[in-house]
Amino acid sequence: MGNLLDIELKQETLSAPTPTKEAPVFLSGAQAMMECLLAESVDNIFGYPGGAIMPTYDALYDYIDRIKHTLVRHEQGAGHAAQGYARVSGRTGVCLVTSGPGGTNLITPIADAIIDCTPLVCIVGQVKSTLLGTDAFQETDMIGVTTPVCKWNYQITDPDEVPEIMAKAFFIAKSGKPGPVVIDFARDAQAAKMTKPFVYKKVEKMVSYSPRVVPKQDQIEKAAELINKAKRPYILFGHGVLIADAVQELLDFVEKTDIPCASTLLGLSAMPNNHPNYMGWLGMHGMYSPNVMTDECDVLIAIGMRFDDRVTGDSTKFVKQARIVHIEIDPSEVDKIKKAEAPVIGDAKEALKMLMPLVKKGDFTGWKNEFRKLDVKEYDKVTLRDLSQEGKIKMAEVVALLSDKTNGEACIVVDVGQHQMVTARYYQFKKPNSYIASGGLGTMGFAIPASFGAKVGAPDREIVGIIGDGCFQMTIQELGTIAQSGLAVKMIILNNNFLGMVRQWQQLFFDNRYSFVELQNPDFITIAKGFGIDGHTCNERENLSDSLDKMLASKKAYLLEVIVEKEENVFPMVPAGTSVSEIRLE
Amino acid sequence: MTTYTICVFTENSIGLLNKITIIFTRRRINIESLTVSETERKGISRFTIVIKHEKREEVEKLVRQIRKIIEVLAVFGYLNEDIVYNEIALFKISTPLNGKSVDVETINKVYKAWVVYWGLDYVVIEKTGTETEIFEFFKYIKPHGIIEFVRSGRVAVGKTPKGLIEYLPEEITEWEYYL
Repeated sequence: MGNLLDIELKQETLSAPTPTKEAPVFLSGAQAMMECLLAESVDNIFGYPGGAIMPTYDALYDYIDRIKHTLVRHEQGAGHAAQGYARVSGRTGVCLVTSGPGGTNLITPIADAIIDCTPLVCIVGQVKSTLLGTDAFQETDMIGVTTPVCKWNYQITDPDEVPEIMAKAFFIAKSGKPGPVVIDFARDAQAAKMTKPFVYKKVEKMVSYSPRVVPKQDQIEKAAELINKAKRPYILFGHGVLIADAVQELLDFVEKTDIPCASTLLGLSAMPNNHPNYMGWLGMHGMYSPNVMTDECDVLIAIGMRFDDRVTGDSTKFVKQARIVHIEIDPSEVDKIKKAEAPVIGDAKEALKMLMPLVKKGDFTGWKNEFRKLDVKEYDKVTLRDLSQEGKIKMAEVVALLSDKTNGEACIVVDVGQHQMVTARYYQFKKPNSYIASGGLGTMGFAIPASFGAKVGAPDREIVGIIGDGCFQMTIQELGTIAQSGLAVKMIILNNNFLGMVRQWQQLFFDNRYSFVELQNPDFITIAKGFGIDGHTCNERENLSDSLDKMLASKKAYLLEVIVEKEENVFPMVPAGTSVSEIRLE
Repeated sequence: MTTYTICVFTENSIGLLNKITIIFTRRRINIESLTVSETERKGISRFTIVIKHEKREEVEKLVRQIRKIIEVLAVFGYLNEDIVYNEIALFKISTPLNGKSVDVETINKVYKAWVVYWGLDYVVIEKTGTETEIFEFFKYIKPHGIIEFVRSGRVAVGKTPKGLIEYLPEEITEWEYYL
């Protein structure tokens, strides 16, 4: 027995640290992640903790003075909030969620962000790398699941990878055609220490990814030639103008050439609504003249847009008489839907700058008047009816009144459906980045989280969410986030007790067979108050103005519910799959 | 239906095969054959994907979409006449004791195929060539009794004097797609 004791003592002396110089202590993977966020000037993130992301949340605890974290109520809310943040501020939105359900709840915002080109970096926890592929608790193959819907994804299993991968992630998310990047962060890589000092080098180019920003001169010259020869040129601009921050360049270009222009849904607010060359927006529920005149132009100048089917209707019949100049950063979008005679691959801002000296000064008064003539028809048939002030309150009058009261300067976050289209029609935008909508994916439930995300991204702006009663209930839990973070978000529910857009289609195309579109709604105001958010309901037209004033005057978050006409339809309308010429005004 | 051979050069990273094939799935294009190997340059993989399609424009769109994947370095789409291509096939042929013996001379001289393994009552014959050549040989050898037959995907090199790898940059330059 004595022997045994000897041995133990001996071992103890052996394992005692040798008194040489101290081994350097490096950052853990999670700490490195925080340093990466700081290096990318990220000061706000949206997230929800959970098992596999706990080491990162633990590291975040030491950084809360520099990185503000908004705790959402559901991961989908984190994603849409990051989108709202990114869209209003032009920065990259960051979300932090856990593995398994945390990650899968984020899929909808990721799919939304890829189709609407929103830069996101989604950091998703993952089980320990030793457990990968074993159906471990809360393990989901996030790489497999997100591959079809994200711009890039990567699984980090070694803390040493963190700086390099995050630098790539931020570069990929923001550059070229922006999009969501998913970082699948294994729990052991979060917890383990790096084996070398943390060094962060921003990525500005990659061998396998180098989007062209400055267009080729010969493409610009060809485009300019086509534009200069045009007798009836027409500009369609899209979200790309806002993403490229090319608002001023577009304005200069339009003012020099005097070409009439129209916006896509997501291009809204890139051009002030009251500009004499701005003809409105086009698309399925867009305005009459911008839609119809696509059949009359001889040269179409498409800037930062991708000929979505909601813009073109039947694409084989869309602008088939015109020659097309297509300014687009993503080469795979050129010729995808419409063949472009003069494609310009590059950033909208750079392209417009380069085109400026090559295009002639123009005067298209006569051509512009043709648009204006059609506007009269739309005004008589649609606008007058929408703003008639007869019967129940109509969505249009709420939006028009809000537009007046905010002087067209608020940032409007909309959900998906009739209210989204009505807002696009009746809000008179004056400032860029003021119409935040889920355009491509059409995600109901987008607006509540996106509006507080937008408020975080632009705290000085008035943010008003305009939301349908159906949409509101899809992410209603995020009222808790708004209350807890004290964000002064204003929300208007346009309540018609219906899934209005689906109901409209059922009425027009399915023979009035209202299949599951009527809602039994809760008392929204009581719910809001339960969350600690003040609000009231407006049922009568004579109270509408005061109601909006009360909401706008509130220094805190506020919910205004407006009971609107139950069975109102949105016109004009280009029925799906038909050509723009078949647009209906009633 | 026209046969197209799509050559994709990529960085060698996990999951890239999935990222590439998922685009074929989305566009509902069936992959006839697929071969992946490392190129003469270390760390760069080469995918050779054969598809059949009626519309050239659709293939062009496919090529552009593949190019869009981060980590993809270059994509080339080819018609058969633009490339030199081959496949390899192995035939396990039954040669029972008192059965008909295989005519090695015909196999070698006419069909340019080789017996690569002699078993007790079977042989393994290797045949390289185009899909058509392999199937001609298949028809010839079939009466002997094919126990097993396996054919590889296509490998192809372009007929241009340049190596495709020369289109890959030492540093960032602009990518072109060829079709």
